Amino acid sequence: MTTLITALLFLLGAFFILVSAIGLVRFPDLYTRMHATTKATSFGILLIILGTALYFNSNVVWIKSVLVIIFIYLTTPLASHSIAQTKKNHRKD
Amino acid sequence: MESTISTIALYLIFAMLLLAFVLAFIRMLKGPDISDRIAAMDLIASVTMAFILSYSVLVEKAIYFDIVIVISLISFISTVAVSTYLKQKK
Repeated sequence: MTTLITALLFLLGAFFILVSAIGLVRFPDLYTRMHATTKATSFGILLIILGTALYFNSNVVWIKSVLVIIFIYLTTPLASHSIAQTKKNHRKD
Repeated sequence: MESTISTIALYLIFAMLLLAFVLAFIRMLKGPDISDRIAAMDLIASVTMAFILSYSVLVEKAIYFDIVIVISLISFISTVAVSTYLKQKK
C-alpha cells in the first residue's frame, strides 16, 4: 500500500516538473516562463520529497525532508523575484 | 537491485524527468536574454534533485538525501549571486 502511494506521488511530481519544462519552452515572455517554472516545479519537488520520505519512513529522512520542503518554499519566491528584477533593470537601460 | 516499487513506474519517471531536462537545456541554449538562461538553470537544478531522489528509491539507499539538501542550498545561492551581479553590472 505504501509503495503504491509512493509510486503515485512520484508520477505526479514528475508530471508537474515535465509540465513546467514544457511551459518554459512554449511560453512567449520571461514573466510567463517564470510563472510556469516557479510554482509547478516547487509543487513537483514537494510531491517527490514526500514520496521519498514515505518510502524510507525513518525519523532522519522525515526531518530532512521537512527541512528541505520549508527551505524550498522559502527561497523559490526570492530567487524568482531576483530574476525578475534583473530583467527589469536590463530593460530600463 | 530489485526494487519494491514496480520498475516500470520508475523508468517512466526517469523518462519524464529526462524529457524535462532536455527541454530546459534547449531553453538555456537559445534563451533570448540572460534572465531566461538563469530561470532555465534553476529548473535544471530542480530536475537534478528529482533525479537523485528517484535514484535513491531505485537503489534503496537513504543517504542520497544529503545530496538534495546541498543542491537546494547551492541552487538558491548561485541564482541570487548571478542575479545580483547582473543587477550591479550596468
